[in-house]
Amino acid sequence: MPAMSQLLADSWQSLRVWRVWTFLGVQDVRTRFQRSLIGPLWIFLNMSLFVVGAGLLYGVMINQPMKILLPYLITGFTFWALIVSSLTESGWAFVNAEGYIKQFCYPKQIYIMRTLVSSTIIMLITLPAIIPVQLYFRSFSPIGWLLALPGLLLLLLAVLGHITLCAYLGVRFRDLPHAVGGVLQVAFFVTPVMFPAKLLQDRHLALIYEVNPLYYLLEVARHPILEGNLAAPQVYIFAILYIVLLWVFAALVARSLDSRVVILL
Amino acid sequence: MKEIYLRLRGVGMTFEGQIGGQDGLKSWLVRRFVKDPAVAAPQRYRVEALKNINLDIGHGERVGLLGLNGAGKSTLLKVMAGIYPPVAGHVERSGHVCPMFEFATGFEMNQSGWDNIRIRGLLLGMSPAEIESKLHEIAEFTELGEFLSYPVRTYSTGMFIRLAFAVSTSINPEILLLDEVMGAGDIRFAEKAKKRMFEFMEQGKILVFSSHNFDLLKTYCSRTILLEKGIVIADGPTSEVVEMYQKTTVPLVGG
Repeated sequence: MPAMSQLLADSWQSLRVWRVWTFLGVQDVRTRFQRSLIGPLWIFLNMSLFVVGAGLLYGVMINQPMKILLPYLITGFTFWALIVSSLTESGWAFVNAEGYIKQFCYPKQIYIMRTLVSSTIIMLITLPAIIPVQLYFRSFSPIGWLLALPGLLLLLLAVLGHITLCAYLGVRFRDLPHAVGGVLQVAFFVTPVMFPAKLLQDRHLALIYEVNPLYYLLEVARHPILEGNLAAPQVYIFAILYIVLLWVFAALVARSLDSRVVILL
Repeated sequence: MKEIYLRLRGVGMTFEGQIGGQDGLKSWLVRRFVKDPAVAAPQRYRVEALKNINLDIGHGERVGLLGLNGAGKSTLLKVMAGIYPPVAGHVERSGHVCPMFEFATGFEMNQSGWDNIRIRGLLLGMSPAEIESKLHEIAEFTELGEFLSYPVRTYSTGMFIRLAFAVSTSINPEILLLDEVMGAGDIRFAEKAKKRMFEFMEQGKILVFSSHNFDLLKTYCSRTILLEKGIVIADGPTSEVVEMYQKTTVPLVGG
């Protein structure tokens, strides 16, 4: 399989030039907030407004105590935003880099890594918003945050898989980000982000989230932060299973499109 | 010292695609499920840009590329650079490739001139320390002054060219690939650029460049390759190849 070995060699070379894609990724985040007065605080502010608004309303509607619901909403929504950007915006990863891909020799995987860097930074800026809320409700658990690390790693691996898949498909199908965006809007309502999974369980609708891989991705990172202990083993197993399938699929797509990207651009 | 070389073996390059219409998700789905051939098979194009190219370019060689527009010069350079993956055959290269193909694209529009110098430097293979040490010299050559602090979306085409040219010529090239990049900027800058370009070309261990300027080819290249419709039709001493090109092609064009 010459195409596959070429792909692996390119990916390896991409990892070695980490300085290039880290710089590009950091610059992307910087420019995003360059012309605003409070910069990255916007992410923070938007999130707080959203969570307070939605939290108060949902708290009454589904009868959940704020102490549980608020941290749950912030964590869930932060990770959800990361997943959404990995499936939508990343469709433009190669398209936006057209000017570079057509004149510089570096393997194009560096533009995948660049997207990973910028979306990870955005996520990391938002994440600390949970800490003051947890401190206020006296539910902050440093051990929980530590135990969330393997989950976060899994989440990032999945995100990398999403970005790879969407970057390649996005070159072939330029309308992909719009299509995926629409699907994800529906997914948002059936995935336990705004409401606890238990709510579905109580109504014998557990199947709705049990077949949803995005639920497992959220849960591996979210559960330890909120509960201070690891998520159930099967949650990790399903998350890993999804990541493996995703990577295999992404690798197959990348293999068939890799040599055509520069021509399709 | 490392031996620098460039070898092409049976290299072929074909461009394929669909003529007209949006080749998006919808039309792909339609093609998948509608069996009506009129809908299912839109008109396609197929261009054989390069056919069975075999070349050996060794350490210290300066090679010119000659041919009419569309003969495959740019495609060949991009295959040499590794930007286009060849459809047939393979390319072996040893040495760091420095491509100089386009000066007007590949910028981050919302970032400053300084940051664009850094990005371009990184993408050309410079290390961050190397870039910082050359930053001042590059900035001076561009003559852009305070404009370097402005986001590059405010730049004119000429300013883009100055910036890109200054960065590209500040690296230490091993394999230097140039695609007709002589006319950079306004008259004053063009003179300065020409001088710097010549110095730069002297540094390359291997130089391949396409040009329609016979004098330039004769000055710089001992060897010239003549391309026609994607095939190498002559490969030899520059004076002979240029003469052949003038005889066969120019009278036809000149009418």
